[in-house]
Parts: sequence; structure tokens; C-alpha cells
Amino acid sequence: MLFFSFFKTLVDHEVTVELKNDISIRGTLKSVDQFLNIKLDNINVVEEMKYPHLSSVKNVFIRGSVVRYVHLPSGAVDTALLEDATRREATQASARAKQG
Amino acid sequence: MADADNDAAPTVQEPLDLVRLSLDEIVFVKLRGDRELKGRLHAYDSHCNLVLGDVEETIYTYDEDEEEEQQDVRIMKKQSEMLFVRGDSVVLISPQPSS
Amino acid sequence: MDNSRMENLSLQDQGGPHGQNAPPQPAAGGLPPVPQLPPQMFTTAAQLLDLTDKKLMIILRDGRKLIGVLRSWDQFANLVLQDTIERIFAANLYADVHRGIYIVRGENVLMLGEIDLDKDDYVPEPYQEAPIETVHATQRKEQENRKNKDKAKREKLLTMGFEPEHSGEVIF
Repeated sequence: MLFFSFFKTLVDHEVTVELKNDISIRGTLKSVDQFLNIKLDNINVVEEMKYPHLSSVKNVFIRGSVVRYVHLPSGAVDTALLEDATRREATQASARAKQG
Repeated sequence: MADADNDAAPTVQEPLDLVRLSLDEIVFVKLRGDRELKGRLHAYDSHCNLVLGDVEETIYTYDEDEEEEQQDVRIMKKQSEMLFVRGDSVVLISPQPSS
Repeated sequence: MDNSRMENLSLQDQGGPHGQNAPPQPAAGGLPPVPQLPPQMFTTAAQLLDLTDKKLMIILRDGRKLIGVLRSWDQFANLVLQDTIERIFAANLYADVHRGIYIVRGENVLMLGEIDLDKDDYVPEPYQEAPIETVHATQRKEQENRKNKDKAKREKLLTMGFEPEHSGEVIF
């Protein structure tokens, strides 16, 4: 759930989602769910002319499984807090694993 | 359960513990799709989803020119200030000696 | 930034199977719940609800582009589309084929985009509508080309120890 929570803190920020088929879509992060499906508003497709079918599209729902990267604004990320949260999650995960 | 304790002592008991020790350090990440990343690790989870800061991405592409001789692997570099990487693309994570 | 929101990371998130529409629960450890956007906003259901009965562009993993009205869906993003058209692009040509009702299995969905009705069916300049036969022929040639290129690249990079992203499957 770490990254689900993390993405929720980034709602309303501008991000660029790069898909596994190389399309990059820039837009405002509007929503995310437990599968890390992502919804973007006011999208702009990088290299728009290569992907003409997206030029009349204003917002997209992207299936989490096809995402390669999400480029984030570094100003919106508190890295110290994120590392703490990661350690907490790691401890929890290994405790869960030990319980079988 | 009964064995060991649950404090976050800096020990390595399972593979991802090694990744935990690399938090806030520079790591090298190899990905599917002919890509490599180098950057500071800020977060990960059990799926190997990652967040890296100050990342350099290296992409290996292969150009097949019409002239048969000019076939070669080309290297492309890209920078990103903060990058989320989806775990299903990750092949390996390796701590890097900081330089 | 808002630390209290980050503080909340990981511990008391009601994602998970029962999280779909669960009311906000008091945080573990007796801390008062931090005011947040309502959790029910962050479900697959909520994201797709907004798109229901809208005219969408659906892009599938194999590169197919469908245009249709979303009538039903579930948490896996399985979809039912009505009045579906498949729009085939090849080089600078495109053609529409009427398909009718489609049920799409979620794992094949790459993304869904809501079509801006002000720009409805707008296809930018160099692209032209052409007869379906022409587009099909062009498309076949393109696919053949890409297949050969992909194969050459894969073989070369395999010798360097690289793993293709999607084995054998052409997604674009």
C-alpha cells in the first residue's frame, strides 16, 4: 500500500506517465487506485503526431500494469518521509512473512 | 514468529533487506526493455516498485541502417529528477559504491 | 508539503479487498484520523464511474484503437462498449470499421480516454481517411517491417544480456 498512499499525496500535481509501449503522457494526476491505475486530466501527449488517435482525448485512465515510469515533480516529494515510510512498510512486510 | 525479533536491525535475512540497506544510497537498476537506471533510492516495496531521485536512464537501441555495415547498438541517456519505476519491469537492483 | 498526509503512508490505508467503499476507520494506534480526501475516491470503481456512458477511445495492448460508449465495467477494468468503431491507423492513413458491441477483458486494456466532444473525431493534419482495403494493405506492410526490425534488435541485444520488455508481443 506504500505506493498507493504515496501517489495519493501527489494528486493535483503534474506528472508524466511513460508506458511500456513508449508513449509518454503528461497531465494532472487526478486519481489512483490500489492497482496503481492512474487517471490524468488535461493530457498532453509527448510526440503527439506519432499518436494521432489521442489528439481528441482530454483525460485518460491508464491501467497500472502498462506503466513503465511516472516522472514526478521532485518538489512534491519529501524523500526523508518517504524513506521512513518505506522502512516501516518493509518491517511490516517481513513480520507478515514470518507469520506465514 | 518465535525466532528473531521484529526490530529493523541492519541485518540481511531476505533479499529485499539488501535493498532496504540501500535506501538513500545510489543504486543501479536493470530493467526489461533494454534499459538501465542509476539514481538515489528513496522508496521500494515488495513488488520492487521504486522511487529514485536524480536518475540517469540509459536506453540501448539498435539501429539497422540500410547499409549493412552501420548496424550497431546506440546508447541514449535521459535524466529525471524523480522517477517512479513499476516493479514488473525490474530485473535487478544493485547497490553502487558512492563516488 | 503536508507532512501529516505522508505520515499516514502505509499504515492505515484501507485499500485491500474490503477497501472498496469502506468508511474511513480510526487510525491504528489511537491516532485521530488525519483529514484526507475521501478514500472512496481512490478505487477503480470511482475512476471508471466518471467514464460511464461517455464516448471513449480505448487502446488495447495489441495496439488496436476502439471508439465506443462505455456501458459497463468491473474492478478488473473488464469493459462493455456500445456502438464500437475500430479505427485503424497505418502510415498517414486511417479507416473506421464498425464493430458493434464489444466486451473487452481488462488485462488487454492499455488505457481509456474520454473524447472531448468539442474535438470529436478530430484527427490531425497529415492523417487522412482512406478506404479500408488501402489501410489494411499499408498496415500489413508496416507490421512486417516492424517484426523484422524487432527481431534484429532482440537478437543483437540478447547477446548483450538484455531482456525484451514484452516477449514476442508487439505492443504499440
